[in-house]
Amino acid sequence: MRGLMRREFHWTREPWREEQGRWTGEDRGDYGAVVRFEGVVRAVEAGRRIRGLEYTAYEAMARHQFEKLFDGAGQRWPALGAVVVVHRLGFVPSGETSLWVLVAAPHRSEALVACGWLIDEMKRWVPIWKQPVWEDPLPPEPVGGESC
Amino acid sequence: MVFWSYCRDFTGTEREEFELRDGATVGELLEQVYARFGKLGEARRSLLVAVGVEYAEPGRRLERGEEVSLFPPVQGG
Repeated sequence: MRGLMRREFHWTREPWREEQGRWTGEDRGDYGAVVRFEGVVRAVEAGRRIRGLEYTAYEAMARHQFEKLFDGAGQRWPALGAVVVVHRLGFVPSGETSLWVLVAAPHRSEALVACGWLIDEMKRWVPIWKQPVWEDPLPPEPVGGESC
Repeated sequence: MVFWSYCRDFTGTEREEFELRDGATVGELLEQVYARFGKLGEARRSLLVAVGVEYAEPGRRLERGEEVSLFPPVQGG
């Protein structure tokens, strides 16, 4: 049992580039399963088109809560080799990646389950918020009378 | 007390100081906060509280100078 060898959390205000997700470390051969997850900003929220989402966070607490989640992941799945999370801050246009997660484990079952668990727990505990930036403002309320 | 996300829209400020008795709890602080900012009081059932970087329950006793945060449900990802 090697334990969680690599655990990283990063904020970024820049667009995510595919090549940043490459894992070329010398320990790569130790893990038969590498799961990568990308959360992408949808173009429609609550039936309305959006330009994107504005992300804010209580950054120090978020980092601390991620560390606790990494501890929890390592305890639940001791064979995990790596957990890496990158989260955007600021405005993220629709179609761009807002969250990127990598989980590596000897076998696919724990890698897939641990990745899902980590994202679920993040959505419960990590203080990050998002605000839609609408493509079109709401039409004005009708004034003083009946509509057609 | 530090306000995050749309809590700031309800208070018009990022932070506010409150005078508390020695040994006061998070719950006592929240009563003062909700009395001063009525819109927060209306949303109180959904709000989350932290002392420093840890979540806190209303019964948690506060030490002098500790920073308490109030924020809406989290939405990462």
